[in-house]
Amino acid sequence: MEKVKLTAKDYKTKIPIVWCPGCGDFGVLSAIHQAVADLQIPPEKLGVVSGIGCSSRIAGYINAYGFNAIHGRPLPIATGAKVANPELTMLVAGGDGDGYSIGTNHFVHTIRRNPDLTYIVMDNRIYGLTKGQVSPTTPTGDVTKTTPSGNPERPLNPLALALELGATYIAQGFSGNVKHLKELIKGGIQHKGFALINVLSPCVTFRGKQEYDYVRDHGVYLDDVGHDPSDWNAAHEVTQWMLTKNQVPLGVIYKVEGRKTLADEVAEVQEKARAKKIYKDVRELIEQFR
Amino acid sequence: MQQEVVLAIAGSGGDGVITAGDFITKSAARKGLFAFMLKSYGPQIRGGESSARIRVSAKPIYSQGDFVDVLAVFSWKDFKRFTDEIELRENAVVLYDESDKTPLEAVPIPPEKNARFIAVPFKKLASEELKVPLAKNMVLLGVLGELLNLPLDALKDAVMQKFGKKRPEAAAINIQAIDLGAEWVKQNLPEGIPYRLAAEGGNPKLVMTGNDALAFGAIHAGLNFYSGYPITPASPILEFLARELPRFGGAVIQTEDELSAVAMALGASWAGARAMTASSGPGLSLKQETIGLAAMAEIPLVVVNVQRAGPSTGIPSKTEQADLFQAIGGTHGDAPRVVLAPADVEDNFQVAVEAFYLAEKYQLPVIILSDQFLGERSETVDEEVLFARERTIARKLPDKEELGEDYARYKLTEDGVSPMAIPGMKGGQHYISGLEHNEKGWPSSSGTIHQVMSEKRARKLPLIAEESGFVRVYGDEDAPFAVLAWGSTKGAVREAVEAAREKGMKVKAIVPQLLHPLPTKALDAALKGVERAVVVELSFGAQFYRYLRAFYDNLPKETYSYARAGGNPIQVQEVLKAIEAHYRKEVEA
Repeated sequence: MEKVKLTAKDYKTKIPIVWCPGCGDFGVLSAIHQAVADLQIPPEKLGVVSGIGCSSRIAGYINAYGFNAIHGRPLPIATGAKVANPELTMLVAGGDGDGYSIGTNHFVHTIRRNPDLTYIVMDNRIYGLTKGQVSPTTPTGDVTKTTPSGNPERPLNPLALALELGATYIAQGFSGNVKHLKELIKGGIQHKGFALINVLSPCVTFRGKQEYDYVRDHGVYLDDVGHDPSDWNAAHEVTQWMLTKNQVPLGVIYKVEGRKTLADEVAEVQEKARAKKIYKDVRELIEQFR
Repeated sequence: MQQEVVLAIAGSGGDGVITAGDFITKSAARKGLFAFMLKSYGPQIRGGESSARIRVSAKPIYSQGDFVDVLAVFSWKDFKRFTDEIELRENAVVLYDESDKTPLEAVPIPPEKNARFIAVPFKKLASEELKVPLAKNMVLLGVLGELLNLPLDALKDAVMQKFGKKRPEAAAINIQAIDLGAEWVKQNLPEGIPYRLAAEGGNPKLVMTGNDALAFGAIHAGLNFYSGYPITPASPILEFLARELPRFGGAVIQTEDELSAVAMALGASWAGARAMTASSGPGLSLKQETIGLAAMAEIPLVVVNVQRAGPSTGIPSKTEQADLFQAIGGTHGDAPRVVLAPADVEDNFQVAVEAFYLAEKYQLPVIILSDQFLGERSETVDEEVLFARERTIARKLPDKEELGEDYARYKLTEDGVSPMAIPGMKGGQHYISGLEHNEKGWPSSSGTIHQVMSEKRARKLPLIAEESGFVRVYGDEDAPFAVLAWGSTKGAVREAVEAAREKGMKVKAIVPQLLHPLPTKALDAALKGVERAVVVELSFGAQFYRYLRAFYDNLPKETYSYARAGGNPIQVQEVLKAIEAHYRKEVEA
């Protein structure tokens, strides 16, 4: 029997979608459906772990093993799952609040460990599920429900942070350009190691339709300007564009292959431990207590 | 000849006090004697005071021994720190280094103990005869060995085992030092020192700490993923597993925090592994949210809490049993979980096995409440006993017919347990979350569904409560008086019950190993005929007593509480006093 080719439709589920009309997350969902279909990843070999927030509901909308966990913890949950079950293609999803605020510690250390995960952050620059509070990526000066006089704080720059921490695949996409985003996600999945894809995914309810216009007006496709993603210094400059030039870089900002992944490290530790001593049976552990 | 002796050695960081204690314990075990060693440290990271308290006996022992028969100190200054913990028996023998010229009237030992002081040149023998001042702890070993009739040959074997292969020179010096110490006793001390041990035991035994036993038990139970964050006094579990688990193809990750540690373990278990994380009280506080997720998403998870004195940072190096409430009632919402309590070192091994059995069978979080006293002490263990309780079960997986589009991860079943598809299983794709959900896992905010699913998850608990073997009873079967205890207080309680029986009282000890859900039927059986009871625990707030009062209907009407703050482990004498106080009332009545 000839193998039936999977299409994006095969990755949809019947769980009702809770997002508002016009939500950027629909574009991200389509891009994921298309990316995993393009790569023909069997749904049973696909894991999707998410946190809490509007965007984290995405784990229910993909025909996969979906785990909509708790706020801020999708990265360690996915790391444990990937180590335990290395054959899974593991996507991790969440919002800016989940990844860059309550889960920042995990973001930092996951990059350090470099597990083979593709982390898609739907960055809407606001807390949407809780209805409109300032988020770690809200621009300075913006009025939100918790910053009625304008956000006094500087936003976090996740791209620069990831680069400094040694991430080996850093991209930024836009939910308004599904075709482009799909390619970034495919690149992330195919990359061996941790991949960060920050997606500007507008919240029309709490930041208005102009959020789409902002990205459209200020977005610069890196492919168009001849950016070399293997050049760390160039990548660093790109991560500063929003501050220095009021431009939104879109595309692969940095990418290097060949860095050891967590799976490599786990295997190495096992090999070294066995080189010192091998047990045929668990009961042999008892010898050290004699 | 004595059946047993309790020794204490006090010194400062470089004195090798703990090493000396380890050698005594190990040599006793090799001779088939029973031994129990408790370490204690000052707050300094390095170089602070430390003490080893070792009880060696020809018959089974269950506690550290209330009173010290023989004390050895290198300097009185170091000993001062432990006066709270080391109480001498009357007429105890005190060996001290002759170089410490503190007048004996000024040393921190109460005159009414009528101690017999003996100045010994530990330091001098090591530095002048051997030219190795550091070997003074080995001189001490030789002195103690000769004086107390400890097995000198086994002591030397233990030294050879530790240093023989890697550092033969060190081994040779240590053995010389032991001989020097023994010879000094022969030359300088009269016979008739009262604590000579009748050093004939049975088969050789193992020596283990509770933490190592727990980690070993977990590997034995099929552990293949461990994530943890360093914390006193649970770190040795992480260290043991970091060394040993990779040899069995498992993975160990030291995480960035406690939240990550429990989340990784949960993720690994979701993906099919047998996963565990361990911490102490502060860590359990941090892990609670994820424990709730494991309860809601119905994922097996084993979480160990090696309790220490709290609240907050408390006393990190000291024991307590005051995390019972947070184990039973921590995390928000009605979250079914199991709480198991090992009561001695071999229990730590067996409870780890039981924890995986229950977690896998019922798909829920299992919390193991060990404590510092259990985790860090060393005990002799019988190999046969260790492996006596083997229970294992595979996770309930869906049949082929159950898979496909209609697969319901949370199918309503009689026992509340639904077949769990493991990621990778074709046709088993589904969505789970911390959200309330219907049978298929779809999120729902319906109060009706919330009720139905709460009932489903709770249906597991009565079945767990009836699992066998979780209540231990010691003493007179038909006793009208019982001592109820859990966890590490068991040892002192068991010995106190024996002491009370020797005094003519009819008493038994009842020690549940499963604290939640309460094994009520087994407790009912154990309490049959009991008219009065006392609940003994190391919790200032009497958590166990209050827990039983609130959740156990058949507690004898006259049940009293003996509870105090942790720090120092409970002693036999105080339990005996508690028994006598309440038992007498009954006699009078």
